[in-house]
Amino acid sequence: MCEIIYHPAYSKYNLGEGHPFDPLRIELAIDLLKELNILKVVIRPESVPAEKLYEIHDRKYVDDVERLSAGDNSVDAESYGLGTLDNPIVPGMAEAARLQAGGTLLGAKLLLQEKTNKVLQMGGGFHHAHTSMASGFCIYNDIALAIKEMTRRGWHVAYLDLDVHHGDGVQEIFYTDEKVMTISFHESGEYLFPGTGWLYELGQGMGRSLKLNMPLEPFTEGESYIEVMNRVLEPALGWFKPDVLIVQAGADAHFTDPLADLLLTTQDYRKIYKRVIELTDEKCKGRILFTLGGGYSIAAAFRIWTILYLTLFNREFSGKLPEEWRKKWSERTGKEIPETLDDILPAFDPIPRKAEIEKHNNETARRLLDAAAPDWI
Amino acid sequence: MLIREVMHPDPVTISPDTQLKEAYKVMEEKNIRHLPVVDKGKIAGIVTDRDLRLATSLLSKFPFDTNSVVAKVMSHPVQTAHPSDPIEIATRTMRELKIGCLPIVEDGNLVGIVTGMDMLDALLRLTGIHQPSGRLDVRLPDRSGELARLTALIAERKVNIHSILTYPDKNHKIRLVLRVGTIEMKILAEAICNAGFEVIWPVHIACVK
Repeated sequence: MCEIIYHPAYSKYNLGEGHPFDPLRIELAIDLLKELNILKVVIRPESVPAEKLYEIHDRKYVDDVERLSAGDNSVDAESYGLGTLDNPIVPGMAEAARLQAGGTLLGAKLLLQEKTNKVLQMGGGFHHAHTSMASGFCIYNDIALAIKEMTRRGWHVAYLDLDVHHGDGVQEIFYTDEKVMTISFHESGEYLFPGTGWLYELGQGMGRSLKLNMPLEPFTEGESYIEVMNRVLEPALGWFKPDVLIVQAGADAHFTDPLADLLLTTQDYRKIYKRVIELTDEKCKGRILFTLGGGYSIAAAFRIWTILYLTLFNREFSGKLPEEWRKKWSERTGKEIPETLDDILPAFDPIPRKAEIEKHNNETARRLLDAAAPDWI
Repeated sequence: MLIREVMHPDPVTISPDTQLKEAYKVMEEKNIRHLPVVDKGKIAGIVTDRDLRLATSLLSKFPFDTNSVVAKVMSHPVQTAHPSDPIEIATRTMRELKIGCLPIVEDGNLVGIVTGMDMLDALLRLTGIHQPSGRLDVRLPDRSGELARLTALIAERKVNIHSILTYPDKNHKIRLVLRVGTIEMKILAEAICNAGFEVIWPVHIACVK
């Protein structure tokens, strides 16, 4: 049983013309699911009140973000990372962020109330939001809010971050928390924003060895990604035995992503999602909450998230995407919309350093387990 | 960065008549490896855990008794630095003489100590990632105005520069590693590339030349 959370007003989280975090990415996925006649009735969330965010963010940060969003420009925005290239000040941005946070929080509540055991929130995933700083397109940390809701009820939560960027905000917020395991697979901070997510970031105090980071080499391909993912996830989740798995399903590790350098294909994503859901059934009491996240190739992100949807419902789609529909969206986005849901293989030229990259990633996985696993007793 | 910003003030000291076993105990208890020896308020020598272990080792030709006084085994005269010395000067002294620490002396009085570890901490502060940021690696001609042109481009786009590192490269060039507060590195790098700069990372950017 899987529930879908979505609100058409998610599209109000719009950071401006030409900004990579384009609301069309989600609209496209939703519209395709409708077009293919497979979208079930979605649950519409309510936005969280600003005060609820005090659970995660500094009070002053929340109040000032709300003021900036309402047009009050007496606030020193840049000290919060706002008014920058990544996080411009947009009227209504706070409300829009609170609605998406409401969606992720609703997902947590549905699971807590045992109304379902699988949720796909077709938005959210703002993993770069810090307690008092906006960063990397993120303002309010919806994931942290959902995690807190669950740990308050005594649940142990595992958080898996598949976005190509390190999940720094979520990791930092729960760095000392013994009820939360965070696992992030990302392109190494040596090469990619936000520059963190190193092996030695293992958590502090009671949270030690519960924060896991797998920095991957640029140009890592699906095969290597899945191999190290399995090597790390199985023992980590098997030992921690969480009550739920929250997954940030950013789609920016795709080979066409304009912001990063990993080389996953849609076929790889399908395998990853399948495996993650299997692992949830084996080791996380079958409970899973997916959020979306990054994914800046408009022509790729919607296909990856459609595949996520299909995988959750154990369905396949291998035909061509409807011609009229493609035309409509090509015009709206100004981008070529591919004919098929899946990438055409081979998707890219062979990578000369492939063997070296795989070796390096395997070494990293081994070093990570060597560092953390002795504490998993 | 000056020594006074990285030194440990008020170091633990011993007197020349301290017994070796006592000195060793102080090191163990305080978890330190270097002890300045102070006589009548002035620095008279320095003794390290290595000095003590070598002096008392059975492998030594003339092993000292652990009841001997440190005055017999300490190094002197002592190399020191001043609190307003730049750290790179102190680092050079330590590297040249292959010594692990420098007592810091001002007006003849011992006011602090720095060790190799403090220099590593300083290196981490200089190269570390303190804000969410992307890395931009550029090769610049070594002449005036190039850096200004580059940083102006970045500022125009409302991107904050969190740190700048440079080091000499071949052929009158310098390498510049910037940590900048944006996730949109490739877009920024494209603009920089189009302005005629040689971008080393991110790679594979579509630069119109």
